Amino acid sequence: MIPSLRLDPRAKLVIVICISTLAVFLEKLSFMLALLVATLLVAWLFQLHSSRSIGRIKKVLSVIIFIAMLQSLFTNAGTPLLSIGHITIISTYGLQRGVGVLLRISIIVLSAALLTTSSSRDIVQGLIQWKMPYELAFMVSIGIRFLPLLAEEIQDTFVALQLRGVELKKIPMKRKIKTYSYLLMPMVSSVLIKGRELSMAMELRAFRAYPERSSLRTLKMKHMDYAFILLSLSLTSAVFYIYMHY
Amino acid sequence: MTNHLEISHLWFRHQAASDYILKDISLTIGRGEVIALVGLSGCGKSTLCYCIAGIIPRIYPGELKGEILLEGKPITEMTLPQVACRLGFVFQNPDNQLFSPTVEDEIAFGPENLCLPQPEIEKRVVESLSMVGMLQHRYKNPHHLSGGQKQLIALAAVLALNPEILIFDEALSQLDSRGKAMIQQQIRDLKSKGKTIIMIEHDLNNIVLADRVLHLKQGALIAYSGSF
Ligand SMILES: Nc1ncnc2c1ncn2[C@@H]1O[C@H](COP(=O)(O)OP(=O)(O)OP(=O)(O)O)[C@@H](O)[C@H]1O
Ligand SMILES: [Mg+2]
Repeated sequence: MIPSLRLDPRAKLVIVICISTLAVFLEKLSFMLALLVATLLVAWLFQLHSSRSIGRIKKVLSVIIFIAMLQSLFTNAGTPLLSIGHITIISTYGLQRGVGVLLRISIIVLSAALLTTSSSRDIVQGLIQWKMPYELAFMVSIGIRFLPLLAEEIQDTFVALQLRGVELKKIPMKRKIKTYSYLLMPMVSSVLIKGRELSMAMELRAFRAYPERSSLRTLKMKHMDYAFILLSLSLTSAVFYIYMHY
Repeated sequence: MTNHLEISHLWFRHQAASDYILKDISLTIGRGEVIALVGLSGCGKSTLCYCIAGIIPRIYPGELKGEILLEGKPITEMTLPQVACRLGFVFQNPDNQLFSPTVEDEIAFGPENLCLPQPEIEKRVVESLSMVGMLQHRYKNPHHLSGGQKQLIALAAVLALNPEILIFDEALSQLDSRGKAMIQQQIRDLKSKGKTIIMIEHDLNNIVLADRVLHLKQGALIAYSGSF
């Protein structure tokens, strides 16, 4: 077995950007399938535990089925696979589009998960050493870190609601919307409070005292990192070339 | 000797509130003094400390009157990062003041902002974590620690900046007895080093550490009579 690959977060960033750019631009299913295999290979190379990513992909699956149905309903392309009367529910075209979106999202989610193999502080450091202003780098990283907490908070609110005997699934749509709007206010205010306390804590630990800041750790790119950056850039350009002329 | 902190005729009203929460507060605190601030929940203890640290009126809007001098300089003329070099604040809620992936990064955050050289940052990380007895947790995620441990990390993160004044907003509330004893010893050590400490306290056991006890009641500071 190969030992787990330890790359500079910047090298990982380049790989992720390359993969997601390809995922956005490639339209042909065959190319996307190949890209998914390549992404899985990279994930395996970095010993990524993909169970979390798969959980995330599962969550968007229902949305994708919905998209596939919409595409089938509103375009006449393809042959109908399932229809009621004259209305096509699912056509080959819709199915194709749906699978395309699923592949695209899977590839992006999987490749982005690569970044979780680096500490977020290291990623911030990488960006700063690439001359990104440190305020921006920290804000982005802290924003991303607090997203899961936010999701937790929303879940807590729903649990609290259910504990009080409100069954959201059973109440009619109109009341449901009303209930959601009641929930929104406390959630927004708790996010605002969290943000305010956070920025207070940061500034009172001298954040933004000077235009520069030093760092406990400094990142250094090794030959391996350069090799991977070069490899992913050239592979990406090659794929694009083949894709255009094929 | 100049007073470390001088508050004169301070009034404050929250933007949303109808009445002043702090009414004509005047107070001078000398260098090396340990002050305990007591009072009922919601009487404005945190608010008073926010004024001292310059958080009010910068982050919380409202009507502020009076003057606060930190080492002889008006707090309104300093930016928060400038205040941070002189004054350390350990907030009531440890969750919203920890934001780094590891304990080590959390402690290093302040010294990094001061542009200290790497060996000095390393030294301060080790020193401050040892002071609160958390050195063995150096590489852990702060969010996976207990409430009391988070408070200790928040304290260490502030100590790493080596401020002259420390404000503890119920910073010991979630600690076990061992943690409390350790922090009480730290407070004595900090006092002997000439640091000024303001602690908001509910626990009468910690009040014995204080040179002076201030009781905040209905917006004014009154003499402490042994209960509140
Ligand atoms: N942003 C705000 N807007 C309006 N009112 C506020 C705001 N923040 C606090 N208050 C009010 O000001 C009062 C004082 O709050 P503060 O947090 O200073 O109390 P405290 O003495 O620290 O209480 P505790 O012991 O519970 O921490 C409270 O009654 C609170 O409702
Ligand atoms: Mg308070």
